[in-house]
Parts: sequence; structure tokens; C-alpha cells
Amino acid sequence: MAQAVAIVGTGQTECGKRSDVSYPELVHEAVTRAFEDAGIGPEDIDAVVAGSMPPAMEGVNNPHLYLAGAMGAYGKPLMRTATCGSTGISLAHTGFYHVASGMFDTVLVVGAEKMNEGDPQGTMATVADPFFQRPFLAGAPGIFSLQSNEWAHRYGIEEKRVRMAAAEISVRNHNDALRNPYAHIRIRTTIEDVLTARIIAYPVRLLDVCPASDGACAVIMASQEKAGKLGRNQAWIKGVGYCGEQAFFGEGDKVVWKSAINAAKSAYDQAGISNPLKQLDVAEVYNPFTFQEMLFYECFGFCDFGKGCELVEQGVVMPGGELPCDPSGGVLCTNPIGATGLQRVAEVVLQVTGRAGDRQVPGAKTGLAHAMGGLDQFNGIMIISNEL
Amino acid sequence: MSPRVAIVDFVQTEHGGHLHENVQELTFGVVRKLMDRVGIDRSEIGTMISSSADYWQGISCSNSYYYDSAGGNLKSGSKVGEDSVFTVIYGMMRILSGHYRTALLVAVTKCSECPSEHTLSNLCADPFFHRPVGINGVAVAGLQARQYLERHSPPTHAAAQVVVKNRSNAAKNPYAHVRSTVTVDEVLSSPTVAAPLRKLDVPVTSDGACALLLAEEGTARDLCDDPVFIEGVGWNVDRSLVGDRDLRRGSLHKASAMAYGKAGIRDPGKEIDVAEISETSSYHEILWSEGLGLCGPGEGWRLATEGLSSLEGTLPINPSGGLFGANPQVARGLVRVGEAYLQVLGEAGDHQVPNVRKALAHSVHGLGGQSHSVVILGH
Amino acid sequence: MAEESRILTGYVSLPYKWAMGPATTRFYEEFRKKRIMGSRCGKCNRILVPARSFCSDCFVETDEWVEVSQEGSIRTWVLINFAYEGQPKEPPYILAILDLDGADVGLPHFVGGFEMKDLETVEEKVRIGGRVKAVWKENREGYILDIDYFEPID
Ligand SMILES: [Zn+2]
Repeated sequence: MAQAVAIVGTGQTECGKRSDVSYPELVHEAVTRAFEDAGIGPEDIDAVVAGSMPPAMEGVNNPHLYLAGAMGAYGKPLMRTATCGSTGISLAHTGFYHVASGMFDTVLVVGAEKMNEGDPQGTMATVADPFFQRPFLAGAPGIFSLQSNEWAHRYGIEEKRVRMAAAEISVRNHNDALRNPYAHIRIRTTIEDVLTARIIAYPVRLLDVCPASDGACAVIMASQEKAGKLGRNQAWIKGVGYCGEQAFFGEGDKVVWKSAINAAKSAYDQAGISNPLKQLDVAEVYNPFTFQEMLFYECFGFCDFGKGCELVEQGVVMPGGELPCDPSGGVLCTNPIGATGLQRVAEVVLQVTGRAGDRQVPGAKTGLAHAMGGLDQFNGIMIISNEL
Repeated sequence: MSPRVAIVDFVQTEHGGHLHENVQELTFGVVRKLMDRVGIDRSEIGTMISSSADYWQGISCSNSYYYDSAGGNLKSGSKVGEDSVFTVIYGMMRILSGHYRTALLVAVTKCSECPSEHTLSNLCADPFFHRPVGINGVAVAGLQARQYLERHSPPTHAAAQVVVKNRSNAAKNPYAHVRSTVTVDEVLSSPTVAAPLRKLDVPVTSDGACALLLAEEGTARDLCDDPVFIEGVGWNVDRSLVGDRDLRRGSLHKASAMAYGKAGIRDPGKEIDVAEISETSSYHEILWSEGLGLCGPGEGWRLATEGLSSLEGTLPINPSGGLFGANPQVARGLVRVGEAYLQVLGEAGDHQVPNVRKALAHSVHGLGGQSHSVVILGH
Repeated sequence: MAEESRILTGYVSLPYKWAMGPATTRFYEEFRKKRIMGSRCGKCNRILVPARSFCSDCFVETDEWVEVSQEGSIRTWVLINFAYEGQPKEPPYILAILDLDGADVGLPHFVGGFEMKDLETVEEKVRIGGRVKAVWKENREGYILDIDYFEPID
């Protein structure tokens, strides 16, 4: 049986264009904060898990080895996990299994990216295979636009309505980000601003799209015994789910999106969640593009298929609603990709332990963290609660 | 008693300098063959863990390209880098957690499709201090070889003897890429590349893929007659900057101590019957043998010159031919585990070592062996 | 099916702008002035060269900057005698790890200033433990290659 796994510390850097520090120094900042939060030091760590996007992002091969010193990993077992945009959640899963297997008591998990040092969209374009897809699927916005248009068409959702719901998501996230000291984009926007912003890849406009950020996030996981000894700020991992699908974008259904549905189902089953809207108090849904977030509501069972817009219109996923989503401002406002999924985990930990500051969802006990990657191929979920 | 994880079966490609199949076809090929041999379909596979590297594939997020080809479609999975032995370790963790009964492990690299290992390993060096002075894999291997020569004064032919042995073993391995033998004279008269290392002291790179099925003990016994158990795993990382490190000792002794501790091994030189080591150069087999405690410090070169590490010796090292036989960068680690498995099973064919009870597999990545991993297999 | 598969040739070329961070920035400012700086870790007391903002062994910030010697000894060396794409220098050249006097970690750099005909002549000139001294370039831009190479001095 899986050993219970606690999260006993988190550390995030301020994100943005962090040319004030080198890549290792940025990572060091997040790791130091996680140690402070957990009240332990590198000598207490039994193993380290690290990951990031393709090494071409920063132009350093084997980035985990380059960053080993910055994580205090010297002389310890270190494992790299990297699954494109879902890297952050995959890292959390790898850390989870280090402890759940009974092999380790205390594990440091680190995700990082310094996107401003390279050419993020140039790098992303190399994710597509060179034989068929690379010439077309230029960068991420193109892919997500294809998906969004298909979704709206399938359910006959009026374009104006989709646009308006997406704009509300954008405004919500930008407002939330102002309350998150680690967020990158910190501007107040209006519906009007979003609707009239420059088109990036129709229907996606500038304020519908995440930025390219520099940032790092560290999370410390511990066995029940170790967590008991530390005795503070514990959150518990209740369920993990991950699912991947085909390399050819045209092969799978990206609306009734199986990898998203399956990932959530596995995690819910482990966590004993049958009615996510009722049983979850907060969700950090991975939303690099406003439109896509509504598909996730549907795939995660927050509502029926084709009804994603309603959750926005009725305020269910807005601040004060039944299931506030992305109170951190989400990926839309902060996206150091290798760290992004792990930031979702860290933010849910802060929420369920009541330490999320100005962005706290009152009384949050159980939350969902999510990340997505590949050519719309990978989805990963983690359910975190303040109760064992 | 703690649950045990076993290897059910292993499949590898016939490795080569330039395989015709693309990465999707290579991964499909090994996984299809593995499932056919074991007699299972995809519904019986719990989770899929793969290993590959983006720079060594020319496709970023390298696993997104072959996730479904490798049998992972609509399954839970992950990718570990940049040493495929980590698929064994992570797959084992997932099984030990109780979440999965089986784990499909897949590794692939086509070195023929990417820039040379010298170029790509130079990119492993930090951009501020090490990269501009040409630190890369073979350069650091040369620095290590020089230190070893000065400190232990092995005879000139000692390292060459490692190459001769491994190339001769590879000639017996139908899956090896390089299957021609060489002589000590040929090694010593080949041109210098990173002196004291000569051209033939360094393995060429290869294309290749492999797949391995792990299962918890009960399932393994249902799926095969003769499961081979993972008795211990260990891994460890050294400091980031090459200048900060002790290049002679490194972190291998820590990785092996962890694996031996789990496996209950006290005297590896006596208890290990065969070792598959990732010898990234001739001297590295000598250095890694010492780091693994298969012999005393400074004695590694004797294993080759005295014939101890030969196929007929008391402690055969790399009966498959090791990396001198086939060197598909990221996939090579899982190939070592697979070859060690075949040895324990007694099905290694012409390069079988008699009466193997415990086998060791070792892998390495990073400049000069910054990261090592060790797996101990037994009945 | 075709006997041979066709080859699709492609290039991936991406620009990078690496932030040095405060410690490396300062290190290279001093470098331009022909000073090699280390930083002392208050916990393990090692002088780390190049100077850096934290000691990764002790995981604490470093606290003091000290200049180390321009001279040192060769810890180990290698003669690079082959070419590859992206190589920073034309072969043959010697790469060495140098223990500068006053530093507790090694600095990789070139050893040169003499003709490298073959391994035998080089071995007469270069040995482990041999003493070397930095030879600076006339025009310096604040980078590791401001030192052209280290030359043997004994
Ligand atoms: Zn220190």
C-alpha cells in the first residue's frame, strides 16, 4: 500500500524577467524559501527530484546537473523528470512516488524555467515532429486556438458568448495576480481591454495568453512519520492522476478530452471524490489560454460537457463562488513552464493550510492542482487536502 | 517482508550506427515484441515510464513524440532523464506504492540524427566558465585518464586491453552495433583525440531502443516462469562545476553503497557474478570498477590485464561488449539492466557467463560521471 | 517498404541571453582588471573560484571576496586533438584543471604558449603538478577568455 505523503514546505520565487540573477541563483532562491518554510535544511533531504522544459529553452544540456548545486543536491540521489508543459505536476508525482514507495522519508522537488534567456516560442515549435507537424503547429497559441474553435463549434456555443466568458476569466486572473506576490503580469484589465487586445492566433488575443516567465518553485514532501516530527503546516496528497495520448494532434478528440478526463478520474478515485464541485474548495487549473480553461471544467467534471461557459457566467469559478479557480492568477499571469505545474501544487498547499495571504479562499480544505503538456497530449492532477 | 519487484522480460533492437526506423517505429517495435513475447495486451500494462533526451532527439519534449508509439496511449506515465536506468527506479517506485502491478519501461536514442556527442556534451557545461574552454564529455574523460595514469602508473596496454576485451565480447552479441575485434596495437596506434585517450579508447555512438517489463512479484510469477528480482538500486549526483569535484572518486561509491545496502551485499568483488558497466571510455571502465568496489582503489586496470574481467574470468565485466558494443546515449543504461537480466536468467547466448546469481548494471550521465546509477539483480 | 529511409535535414538554431547574476557579473568586472576573485564560504571556509553567491555544499551565502593568485599548479590536463561542431578553439589545444594558489577548487582553462607538435613533445612541457601563470589578452571584455591561456613557468 502507498505510504501517506505530506507536503511540509513550499518555496516560490518572484516571477517575471529575472535577469537580476543567474539560472542557478534563481533556483537557489526557491529552494532556500522551501527550507525556511519547512524549518529544515539540505541535510534533512534524502533525495531530490528536478525538472524543466526542453534544455533548448535555456541552452544548457542536462539542466538538472547544472542546477544540482543550487538545489543542495550534491551527494544525494537526484532524478530528472520532464514531460513538457506538464513537467511541474509530473515532478510532484515523481516526488510523491519517492515517498509513497517507502523508499525515502524526505524529498525535495524543484521545477524551474528561465524563459527569457532563450527563445520560448522557437523552442516550443521544436516539440512538433519534423516530418509532418512542425511546419504548421507553430508554437502553443496555434494549437490551443484549434482546440477552442472545435469545442465552441461542437456544442454550438455562440462565438460572442465564448469570447465574453474568456474575457471574464482573463479579468479574474489578472485581478487575482495582483494579490499574489509571486505573479509575473500584474496589471488591472477590463473586459473591454481583453476584447480589443491584439489577435495572436484567432480567437486568442494578447490578454488571453500566458507570458513567458522566469521563475522557480520548490516543494518538500515527507512521510507521515517525518511530517509528524516536523509538526507544522502539513498538507496531504490524497490522489494523483496522469494520462497521455497520441503524438498526432489530429488523432485524438481534444474536446471530450480523454487524457484530461482520465487524469482527473484516477486522482478522484484515490481521493474518494465523487462530486468535485462539492468536494473541492479550490482548483488551480492550468490555463495558459483563457478559452482552454472552460474545457477543463468540463473534463474535470465541474459541469457537463458544453456547459463550461455557464460556470463563468454564474460565478461558480469566480472569487466567492462555489469553486474558485486560479486564485493565484494562474498560468495566464505567470508561466515559467518547468515550474508552472509545481506552482499549482504549492498554491493549493498554501490554500488548504490557510496561508495564501490576500488570495486565500476562506476555509479551503481540499484543492486540485493541474498541469497540461505536449501537443495537447498530457494531463496531470494532484488532489491535496489539509486532512490525512 | 517488503514487496518485491521483478523483471518479466526485456527486448532490444539490433543497435546500429544508423537505423532506418524513426523513433516512433523503434519504440513501437520493441514494445510490440515485448508484449508478444510475454503474451499480454496493452490493457495489462499499468504505467509507462520512458527515457530519452530532447537534445539527443532533435525534438523537444522528446516523449511527446513517441508516447503512444511506446504503448502509453491513455495510460499514466512519465519521462525520466537523461539516464534510462531511472526508468527502472521510477517504475519500481510506482509498483511499490501499490498503485500499479506492472510498469512498461522504454528507452530510445538515435545518435545518428543529432549533433555529435562532443557538441551536445559541450552544452552540458555552464555558459559562463566551462563551455568557452571546451569542457565536454571526452575532454573530461581525458582529464580523468591523465590523473589515473599519473597516480597509479598502469602499463600502457592496460586501458587498451579493456577495449580489446569489450570489442571481442561484442562480436558474440547479435544486438551489438560494433561487432569487429581489435588488437592492443590497433588501439595504441589509433590517433589521439583527447590524449591520453585515443580514438579507439572511446566508444562510437549508436542508434537503439529497448523495452523492459517490471511487475510486482505475484504478477511476475503469473507472467513468466523465472522472474529476476531487483535487489537494490542506488543513484547519486556530484557537484555541478567540474573544477569543484574530485574527478577520481566522484559520487559512484555513494550510489553503489546505496544499492549494496538494499541488496545486502558486503563484498561486491566476491558477491557480484557479472557487471554491465557504462564505460564511456576505456579508462572509465577501470575507474567505475573501482567506484563500484569491484576491486580496490588503483587496482581497476588489473581486472583487464589479468583477465579477471574477461568472459572467462572470475568477475566478467561487460560480457555484452558494453558501450564499445553499442552506445545509444540515453537508452544504453536500460540496455545494461536488460543485459544483466539476461545473464541472471541464463539466456545471454554466446556471451553468457556461467552460474550467474547476482548481476550488477551501472549507468552514468553528465560530464565525467556527474550522475551514476546502480541496479543489483538476482534470483 | 523502402530499403533505406530518406533523410530529412533540418537545423535548430536559437539565440540565448544568459543572466550572469551579481556574483559572476562582479567576478568578470574584476577579471577585466586582471584580478581573479574567489569567494569564501563562512561555513566550510573554502575559497571558491570563480567567486559565486552561495556555497552549494553548505547551502549558505558566501560572505567574503578574496583575490587569488594568477599562478597555480596543474591538477590534470588533456590534449584535445580532434574537431567538432561548436568547438570553442581550433585543435590541438590543452585543457587543464588548475589549482590556483589560494583557491580550494579547480579552474578549467587552457594551457599554452608553446608549439604542440605531438603528445611526446607536449608531455615534456606539461605535467600534473607543473606550475603555470595566467597570460592575459590585451583587449579584455570581462569573460573567461580574457585569459588567453596559462603558460608553464617551471
Ligand atoms: Zn561551504
